[in-house]
Amino acid sequence: MPPDKKRAGASAARDEIVEDLNRLMAEEAEACLRYFQMRFRLRGKEYQAAAPLFEEAIRETLEHATAVAGQIKALGHIPSLRINLSLGGTPIRLETALAEALEVEQQALDAYKDFLPRVAGDPVLEDFIRRQVEVETEHVEEIRTFVQAHAAVKLVPKPKARRRSSR
Amino acid sequence: MDTWKEFEANELTHSAAHHLLAIYEVGEAYGGWARVSDIARRLNITRGSVSINLRTLKKRGWVQTDEHRLVKLSPKGLRVVHSVMAKRVIVKTFLRDVLGIAEAQAEIDSCKIEHLISHSTGQRLVHFLQFLTSGAPVSRQFLRQFRAFQASCPASRTCGVCKGQCLIDELKYAT
Repeated sequence: MPPDKKRAGASAARDEIVEDLNRLMAEEAEACLRYFQMRFRLRGKEYQAAAPLFEEAIRETLEHATAVAGQIKALGHIPSLRINLSLGGTPIRLETALAEALEVEQQALDAYKDFLPRVAGDPVLEDFIRRQVEVETEHVEEIRTFVQAHAAVKLVPKPKARRRSSR
Repeated sequence: MDTWKEFEANELTHSAAHHLLAIYEVGEAYGGWARVSDIARRLNITRGSVSINLRTLKKRGWVQTDEHRLVKLSPKGLRVVHSVMAKRVIVKTFLRDVLGIAEAQAEIDSCKIEHLISHSTGQRLVHFLQFLTSGAPVSRQFLRQFRAFQASCPASRTCGVCKGQCLIDELKYAT
């Protein structure tokens, strides 16, 4: 293959990688905004129970988005963020919020896993994506554990107030 | 119910219609099954968004998922898709063939309207198109005269259609 064509092919492949990284960054940035808004839809004790989890998730997703953006910069491109998000202000139950969080995290994990074979052989990117897969796997597990713990708390019936015997 | 409220309450939202159409189009080559990543690419949104939106579509009974998180339209979802596609064709045909709107614009506008018009309006539009394309002298003449018709606004800016307020002028400022 002539060197010019080879270079053009490599450049196209690089552009596709950058496009995929932009998508990964969008997943993280959007998840961050979701968590930011979602915690305010919880009420009372549910808000108190889940606030630290969501705060941690906001911090982590923003950190991940920044890390992905760093990889795009390292490839000589400027990150381009395309998200289309409109989140309603209706109250939400904790189970629903956690189920949505789990969906979002699972999709992020799948996205990193799907991307991994595309960067095989690139020492920097492959290592970066592998670490992201590990971190996302842990995060999915954390949410699962929280969901199970929350369900377990709900399964323990509240002690019934004893009736006072009427004299 | 006021019409605008009906628009808001429409259980098939624009987003839902597009998700269902995307699942249908992506799944066509794979026995109806579609991956969330492919749906996201087609709609140009994140996988997270698709995944969350699928929860609503599942609740409505329009889609089903398997253990690999693949998505497929349910028979009910497939009926919705066919209905939306039919309405899109009807509206597009009307805009392009009767009103003479350019193909690309007719495609965009029909996409915006497709899921909103009622079954009965869709049916009447089909009947109207059938009448216009029947080849009967009266319909041929109607189309010929309509295409040759040069709309012109009177100096007073009022006519039988506008009744005191020039609608053409109003349209100019619409975004």
